[in-house]
Amino acid sequence: MKRRKRNPWLTVAINLALIAAGLTALSFLPPDNSLAEVRRIGALKLCVPSEYPVLVEKDLQKPGFDVELARKIAEELGVRLVENEMMSMGKDFNPRNWQLTRGQCNVIAGGLADTETTRSFLQTIPTGIETGWVAVSKEPATPQEGQVWAVWPGSSGLDRIALSSWLRERGIRPVLLQSPDQIVDLIESGQIYGAIVERLIAAPLVSGQAYAMTWLAPETFTPVQLSQGLWKGDQTLYRAAKQAMEKIRASDWYGEAKVRYGLDAPIAVIQ
Amino acid sequence: MSEMAVLARGVYGVWLREIMRATRDRGQLIGGVSRPLIWLLILGVGLNPYFRGEVYGQVNYVIPFTYLQFLFPAVIVLNIMYTSIQFAVSVIWDREFGFLREVLVSPLPRSLILLGKVLGGATVATMHGVLVLLLARFADVNMSVQQIVTAIGLMFVLSFGLTSFGILLAARVRSFEGFGVFSNTLILPLYFTSSSVFPLDPSLSRTQAVMSYPEWLVFLVRANPITYAVDALRGVLINFNQLPPHIGLAVIAGMCVVFFVAALVDFNRS
Repeated sequence: MKRRKRNPWLTVAINLALIAAGLTALSFLPPDNSLAEVRRIGALKLCVPSEYPVLVEKDLQKPGFDVELARKIAEELGVRLVENEMMSMGKDFNPRNWQLTRGQCNVIAGGLADTETTRSFLQTIPTGIETGWVAVSKEPATPQEGQVWAVWPGSSGLDRIALSSWLRERGIRPVLLQSPDQIVDLIESGQIYGAIVERLIAAPLVSGQAYAMTWLAPETFTPVQLSQGLWKGDQTLYRAAKQAMEKIRASDWYGEAKVRYGLDAPIAVIQ
Repeated sequence: MSEMAVLARGVYGVWLREIMRATRDRGQLIGGVSRPLIWLLILGVGLNPYFRGEVYGQVNYVIPFTYLQFLFPAVIVLNIMYTSIQFAVSVIWDREFGFLREVLVSPLPRSLILLGKVLGGATVATMHGVLVLLLARFADVNMSVQQIVTAIGLMFVLSFGLTSFGILLAARVRSFEGFGVFSNTLILPLYFTSSSVFPLDPSLSRTQAVMSYPEWLVFLVRANPITYAVDALRGVLINFNQLPPHIGLAVIAGMCVVFFVAALVDFNRS
């Protein structure tokens, strides 16, 4: 009896399929034990500045958006959140001087910008919140020449030098404030047209008030995405936290938290 | 059948023989994937702690990627280099056992025989590169379909150039043993001096890079064409270029043309 000739491509396909299956299986190996370690000790360590409204606040009932978000991530990972308030954070422009170590924190939050520079040091998970300079006024507006605007640079890492150059170039008359609490009174009394502040500072001001927020010259001051940062190389923890963040952002809780912290207010764009 | 179709069938026949020979041998395939496994799973994971930061704001290399992500495209190039250059062993084999003589007396022009062989070698090498892509999940490299297609195209052009280079070398080496030693002494130095395992800090100027590394090493890295191939693939897979992206594409295309023409001249002469 004549033996049927085997298709030569069949052996090739079988060999390639076996190799591909083996490699795919190996790609599921954990590249490190960062997640296993967090689960072993049962805690996710979060480092935040002592205060950075509305992301980190001193109120126990309302600890801040980033803190609540980290608690939810910890909950998703099945561990508790240990909050480490780091006095050094934000005190210096160079984060190296904050002396945050791997031993102190698994996650760094509280105003971390998702930029290429940050990603050179940490792996970031965007929180869906943007910040940048905004103009707060009764109507959506961009500061015009000759107008008086209050300016509150705050303690954020936004570019103050670029802001002062921009104000000077456009002939805007700035009024420096001692506290952002003065803004509402000054606008209502007509002493200023509006105020230029960081978006996060503006959030509680516009919340419940009849004020509008407008991104300040977005072509010059590009809004930055905020994030939570994990150590570079902690891949398994990063994957799990990222997955948890995606789940949280798709939940009702996320929208409610944004409302609670005034982060849901629309921000106008005037080109 | 038209003359063109006959010639195309001839090229297909030579190509098919190379494909069958490389893919039916399970040992050769396993050998081909053992390299990325060692480099990514062992070396990548082993060296990862040395490239991560222990204090925020302080890392050894300021690149916005993890070490595994940085290494991943380079491992693909390494796999392609090995497969492409080692492919030339088949030319030595064919020469030793008289198969090449039989093919050369066929009506097929020598240039097309060479084209069939190079295409065969390039296809096998590209396939070995594609197999490494299956480890992308492990290295946390997320790719879109467009990125994958572009990367495969780039891998094929690189494979074509390196296979031609391998055939060029095979014409100068007469024994299997000699070629094995020779190719290893060529592949590994080329790989290590291609900024594959250590990044040239992109935030530093050339003068500062020379200060970070000895000048002779910086010179070798910049003179090595594989540096540009690795950089081009990094650009496609992880959107990270240390050098202007168009240079990488130009160098790969240049390698392809120069080595193929040189191999053709050699092949016609032999």
